[in-house]
Amino acid sequence: MSILTLRNISKRYGSLQALREVSFEVPRGSVFGILGPNGSGKTTLLGIVTDVLKADTGDFTLFDQLPSATQRRQIGTLLETPNFYHYLSGYRNLQITAAVKQRDEKDIARVLEIAGLSARQHAAFKTYSLGMKQRLAIANTLLGDPDVLILDEPSNGLDPAGIAEVRGLIKQLAQSGKTIIMASHLLDEVEKVCTHVAVLQKGKLLTSGPVNTVMVREDFVELACNDMSRLEVLLRQHPLLGNLALTGGVLQAFFTGAVDPSELNSWLAGQGIWLNHLQVRRKSLEAAFLEMTQN
Amino acid sequence: MLNIIRIEWLKVKNYRTFWILLILAVIVIPASNTIVADVVSRIPKQATDILGRNFYDFPVAWQTVANVNSFTSIIFGLLLVTLVTNEFTYKTHRQLVIDGWERLDLVLSKIFWVVALALLALVVSFITAIVFGMIYSTAPFSFEGVQFLFFYFLQVLVSLSIALMLGMFIKRSGLATVIYLGYAMIFEQLLTVGLKHSVGAIGGLLPLQAGDELLPFPVVDKVLPSSSDYSHGVYEITIILYIALFIGLTCRRMLKADY
Repeated sequence: MSILTLRNISKRYGSLQALREVSFEVPRGSVFGILGPNGSGKTTLLGIVTDVLKADTGDFTLFDQLPSATQRRQIGTLLETPNFYHYLSGYRNLQITAAVKQRDEKDIARVLEIAGLSARQHAAFKTYSLGMKQRLAIANTLLGDPDVLILDEPSNGLDPAGIAEVRGLIKQLAQSGKTIIMASHLLDEVEKVCTHVAVLQKGKLLTSGPVNTVMVREDFVELACNDMSRLEVLLRQHPLLGNLALTGGVLQAFFTGAVDPSELNSWLAGQGIWLNHLQVRRKSLEAAFLEMTQN
Repeated sequence: MLNIIRIEWLKVKNYRTFWILLILAVIVIPASNTIVADVVSRIPKQATDILGRNFYDFPVAWQTVANVNSFTSIIFGLLLVTLVTNEFTYKTHRQLVIDGWERLDLVLSKIFWVVALALLALVVSFITAIVFGMIYSTAPFSFEGVQFLFFYFLQVLVSLSIALMLGMFIKRSGLATVIYLGYAMIFEQLLTVGLKHSVGAIGGLLPLQAGDELLPFPVVDKVLPSSSDYSHGVYEITIILYIALFIGLTCRRMLKADY
């Protein structure tokens, strides 16, 4: 079953074409990253899915059904900014959400605990710091333990510890089998958790699908030793070497086939080269993304 | 609908501004009648003899209370503008839809307030008329003329429908408040006067004015023949049509717009 299917969604604000015929599908159980620079249409797209914006053309389904409030109640959504009644406490704001989603109020204590807000739950929302507001918004999405989450820049306004916590939380949610649709321009935020991505640029979908098929991110090996020039000469003789680059005092070797690092090490040692650095790495999503959006 | 009402209750239960405005709107009803009763009691006896009636005598007490209250019902409108524009100020109109309200539920939740506040105004006016009648009336209690409270109820409903529409269209609390006050207190009066002069009786068919036509100050309206040019039914239907129009426009807007 597909959680979300978009078909030719277009949206225009005056002269700005915010989305241009965007179509893709979010499979159940995936962690789906919607990537793109600021202003690429990520929030507009999620706004249409959550019915706060109306698409000019195109349509979409949620859980293979025509979208309505019933489907939205089964999704925990954080869109753009935390939207709460300033004069009410965090707890009372979540009471309203529980009523809208028709979920048990007993769950409020659990989500406030996860968000680290239990101590301040009875203080008015307007007294919260930016990070606490964002935490309340995250608690709001988790209310009722929905199987699908839509998170738009979930770590906005959080301090480094908070960002790490959110990343951990998303990982944990993904492992528990939930479907997570996440928009972010912070790539390392999604890098570690995404199974699927859609890449948007200026409202156009560049690509979408499983992250390893749509983004070429081959492994490479980082090497260093006391005699870098000799190491370089030797590596160039390796039959599977594709590309070689010297960056930050280490050589990055890209191979055209699978290379066992221990065999590589042993081969180099046999040639009299004793490595002081050897690491298998994967090209970062950011690098792959930049390559894609710049072409 | 019950769930929507429960959610509205959660929003206002701990909202001080709401309670202050609500108490103010309610207290003003007996308070303004106290002032009128006091002023009326100082009219020399000869004058009231000419008029033939005390203003809080039954059956005119109903009409007096309805007329006096029609000047202060604007406070209910201010309360409604606040409740409506709050959703836009806090962007909770977005969140409610995101979390699982239909867009129409947003409109229904505020129509609930239109009806609830109008009913509250009606009930408080009803009690006020009875109490003031009991205190001041020299005639026995009577329900004759109680229909004036229904006219008042209609006027509060249309006034609140205007507040609803302005709040939903303008979204910004300060601007919506000023435009609502400006329209209710000045602009419509000007239009009425202008239309009555230039066109005629049709000037009495503006939304709030139609209510005023139904609610002339008692006793005096018998001495100075009524300015009403249409029958009561025409004004009543006009008001109901306005209510339908304003709520219809609000629904259309909220169903189509980007939030």
